[in-house]
Amino acid sequence: MTYNFAAIVPELMLIIGEPILMLTASTMGRRATKITTWGTVALLIAATIAALVGTEPSSAGPLFGGLLSADPFAVYGKALIYLSAAVAIIAANSWFARDDEHGPEYPILILLATVGMSVMVSATNMITLYVGLELNSLSAYILASYRRTDARSAEAGLKYFVLGALASGILLYGISLLYGFTGSTQFSAIAAALGRDEAMGIGLLLGLVFTLSGLAFKISAVPFHMWTPDVYEGSPTPVTTFFASAPKVAAVLLATRVCIEALGPAIDAWRQIIIFAALASIFLGAIAAWGQTNIKRLLAYSSINNIGFVLIGLAAGGAAGVSAVLFYMAIYVVMTLGAFLVVLNLRNAAGEPVEAIDALKGLSSRRPGMAAALAVFMFSLAGIPPLFGFWPKLMVFNAAVEQGLFALAVAGILGTVVGAFYYLKIVKVMYFDEAEEELHYACGNLEAAFIGLFALIVSPLGYLLIGPIGSAADNAAGALF
Amino acid sequence: MIALVLIVAIVAALVLLGWLIPGVGEFFSTAFWGGAVQGFEAAGMQQDWAYGLGTLIHILLIALPLMLAVAMVIYTERKIWAAIALRRGPNVVGPWGLLQSFADGLKVFLKETIIPSSANKALFLIAPVITFTVALIVWAVIPFDVGVVLADINVGLLYILAASSLGVYGVIIAGWASNSKYPFFSALRAAAQMVSYEVSIGFVIMGVILWAGSMNLTAIILGQQGHVLGLLNGYGFNPLLFPMAVVFFISSMAETFRTPFDLVEAESELVAGHQTEYSSMSFALFWLGEYANVILMCALNAILFWGGFLPPVDWEPLYAIPGIFWLFLKMGIFFFMFGWVKATVPRYRYDQLMRLGWKIFLPLSLAFVALVSGWLMFTRFEGGAL
Amino acid sequence: MIGIFAFYLFATLTILSGILVIFARNPVHSVLWLIVAFFNAAGLMLLLGAEFIALLLVMVYVGAVAVLFLFIVMMLDIDFAKLRSGFTRNLPIGLLIALVLLAEMLIAITAANSGPLIGDQPASTAQSNLSAMGELMYTRYLVPFELSGIILLVAMIGAIVLTHRDRGDVRGQKIHHQVRRDPEEAIRMTTPESGKGVEL
Repeated sequence: MTYNFAAIVPELMLIIGEPILMLTASTMGRRATKITTWGTVALLIAATIAALVGTEPSSAGPLFGGLLSADPFAVYGKALIYLSAAVAIIAANSWFARDDEHGPEYPILILLATVGMSVMVSATNMITLYVGLELNSLSAYILASYRRTDARSAEAGLKYFVLGALASGILLYGISLLYGFTGSTQFSAIAAALGRDEAMGIGLLLGLVFTLSGLAFKISAVPFHMWTPDVYEGSPTPVTTFFASAPKVAAVLLATRVCIEALGPAIDAWRQIIIFAALASIFLGAIAAWGQTNIKRLLAYSSINNIGFVLIGLAAGGAAGVSAVLFYMAIYVVMTLGAFLVVLNLRNAAGEPVEAIDALKGLSSRRPGMAAALAVFMFSLAGIPPLFGFWPKLMVFNAAVEQGLFALAVAGILGTVVGAFYYLKIVKVMYFDEAEEELHYACGNLEAAFIGLFALIVSPLGYLLIGPIGSAADNAAGALF
Repeated sequence: MIALVLIVAIVAALVLLGWLIPGVGEFFSTAFWGGAVQGFEAAGMQQDWAYGLGTLIHILLIALPLMLAVAMVIYTERKIWAAIALRRGPNVVGPWGLLQSFADGLKVFLKETIIPSSANKALFLIAPVITFTVALIVWAVIPFDVGVVLADINVGLLYILAASSLGVYGVIIAGWASNSKYPFFSALRAAAQMVSYEVSIGFVIMGVILWAGSMNLTAIILGQQGHVLGLLNGYGFNPLLFPMAVVFFISSMAETFRTPFDLVEAESELVAGHQTEYSSMSFALFWLGEYANVILMCALNAILFWGGFLPPVDWEPLYAIPGIFWLFLKMGIFFFMFGWVKATVPRYRYDQLMRLGWKIFLPLSLAFVALVSGWLMFTRFEGGAL
Repeated sequence: MIGIFAFYLFATLTILSGILVIFARNPVHSVLWLIVAFFNAAGLMLLLGAEFIALLLVMVYVGAVAVLFLFIVMMLDIDFAKLRSGFTRNLPIGLLIALVLLAEMLIAITAANSGPLIGDQPASTAQSNLSAMGELMYTRYLVPFELSGIILLVAMIGAIVLTHRDRGDVRGQKIHHQVRRDPEEAIRMTTPESGKGVEL
């Protein structure tokens, strides 16, 4: 058997770099935090470049006997994941630095999670899929309880772990049923078996439902969303920033690949499930967010809401739908990272992190730049037209309409309107309410630069990016068909 | 010293006996061993019934002498300790005190079994049985000569690892079911210690498996024939495996809760550990199990690293002596070393025990797995070209 | 015949001990029944000819995982009355889940009678299943195998991150310092006059 290691150079870079950083950390102790942080960021950037440069069509095909693939779809996902993980690490650096809780293990855990995500987006076999998923999840459980002295953080980790283990069990059950009835764990072989069988048996259908349920947990789609608000609220904010960005991308791309590549011929069977999950996520995310007082919880519901829109694109299926999903994820990551970066830099007079929405009162008068940036992100997340967040939503609805899913598109638009309310509430709090308590906004230069950059991307100027991102997304989506 | 000379003399006499009278060797050979099943079949029995009955006889052939051996081994060990401590040791019951163990056995047999009122009765009584049974089942795969083995399975070594890892349940259950403080501490210690040292034992065994290319114990022993320079029979003579042999020897002491690793029954801290609440036969079963395990570990040391039933030197005349005597000779030497260590080395503190297991043995054995497999890759598999 | 007898023995005991895991009043008993269940499951694997998996099951689950389970459960201080008070409240949900799983299994079993869509007979070779598994793991499934190793690494890092504390007030034994010590500087020979003592 010959192995094509050239095609997995990005992953190899991360995997080989990790023990080196870990050994540095184990010999230098806490002083190594800076080294591992910037070492990880450098590794991630290098891996992104390697992923983008090193894609020859010849080496992209099935690797290692069909366990992995380095097609444009995987490359698109990897680039997005690596970069957002790098931003999450940088954001954590200054946040933890003030608390004397930062350790050299933090970036390394994110690095390992990134390896898992990278396997998730390139997996073309159920076994690789599961292993990648677990690598990512296990790192995530640890990250969630990273502030172990904080009861909320420990609770978040435990909740995430228990529910995550349950979801993994469901997923495995589904995979085992699919394997049992199709005789293979290979995506292409499963699709072939599904295509051959005219009327799908009940066993296969169950396998499909269970597999999708397990994946729905990972992307926190309703009705498997219940962990999201608690975990987002309890985890340290930099960890939440990470959870909301890279793993989301990985899980959505994974679900997309499974639906299209493995379950493609059974689209009629899973489309209804996805449509239900999409609408439920949109409306529950929008309505449940109304009463929230904690901004991290609110952003958790916002992520559930946005996943709903992404799922509309998936329900549409076809190259256009997948392309819309990919485009949506790119913009979503920018918006959500931007919003979390602002939240990360909120401190009260005692220098403690602030999470209450009330604390944002009067932000516009103290830090107009920050308030403006957050307002931009909020409007964009709501999908209000001049901002860039509107465009991916439009693409998703377009894809749905093209497939004749008018009702779904209309319901989605309705959901947008409902959801806009709470995004606007935050803007109202920042701009029209009087400040109650003294707030400090010690924002590092790097973070400020990132916030500015992200705000610029989601501003109307971002429409200039439609060309490059759109063609990359189209190219990536094309790889699945 | 007297005891050592005694053992060596007895074993040497047996060796000589086997060499002089070919019939004795024949007695332990394959022909006899396999004879039972064939005999039953010839007598018109159905195949599986004949197999079942034959196996039963084989089991008794191993278990009964083993129990006898435990009695004698306890006596021998007490003599060794006595010699090292410049005492006389048991010398009252029978000639030279030889019947001491039987007297002890009779005593515990006649005593009343006391069950503490707050103990969990069923588990309290099951625990010694588990210890005893587990100590016996491992013997199923130990080869006494080529073909003289109860179950010649492909994954014999794995079976030993699996079965010996069960031994801890006797201690844990005894400790918990006694519903008493000291046994409970003992149970916790036993669980942690067992799991810790099993890790390094696993890695050590991996080196042997890699070299032998098999998990079958007979194949492992035969693979050691002329292993070093075509002359010495035994992986232990190989410089790459000798350190592992030492690690295995020490770990096997920890695995059987022997001094210096007998924290489980450290009398200065835990009275008698998990056995504190036990009396009469239930107590005796623990002892029998413990010593059966010790003999087993001696056998494993002999089999895995020192050639088992092969003579130490690959020289034709030595093969005239039946393999079982070589195996017993090697076991005797290891048993003496066990007793020697117990009589001379002070007990480890708990953190030191954990340190030795996790910080020294684990990395060391892991490094040697890499070394051994690397060496084999270069010498046996053409530098890793598949 | 012995084979069939063994199968029914192992199967019955697996199911029985599985039931007892749930119904045992004492959590320690539950774990012990779980061990019995593992054991009999290993016996079933043995009957299938998968001796490697069977022994691995005993070694890993019975020998290590269950020991740690027992270790934890033994130290728990559980109020059983309180634990059981939620029973009736959670019963409907539990029953629902149990029914769903039961229905699924029944459906899966009936559906399985029609056979897999791809006829996939296990290849019969002279290889022992140990070497067959080894060969597959190190060639065909190299990537998932290596990744599983990384998962274990994550678990290890996680355990250290979440539990290790740097305590400044503990003076640990540094054995290498002790070993490195030179008798020349550690021992001082003096001959004190009687009644004077030694200046330290």
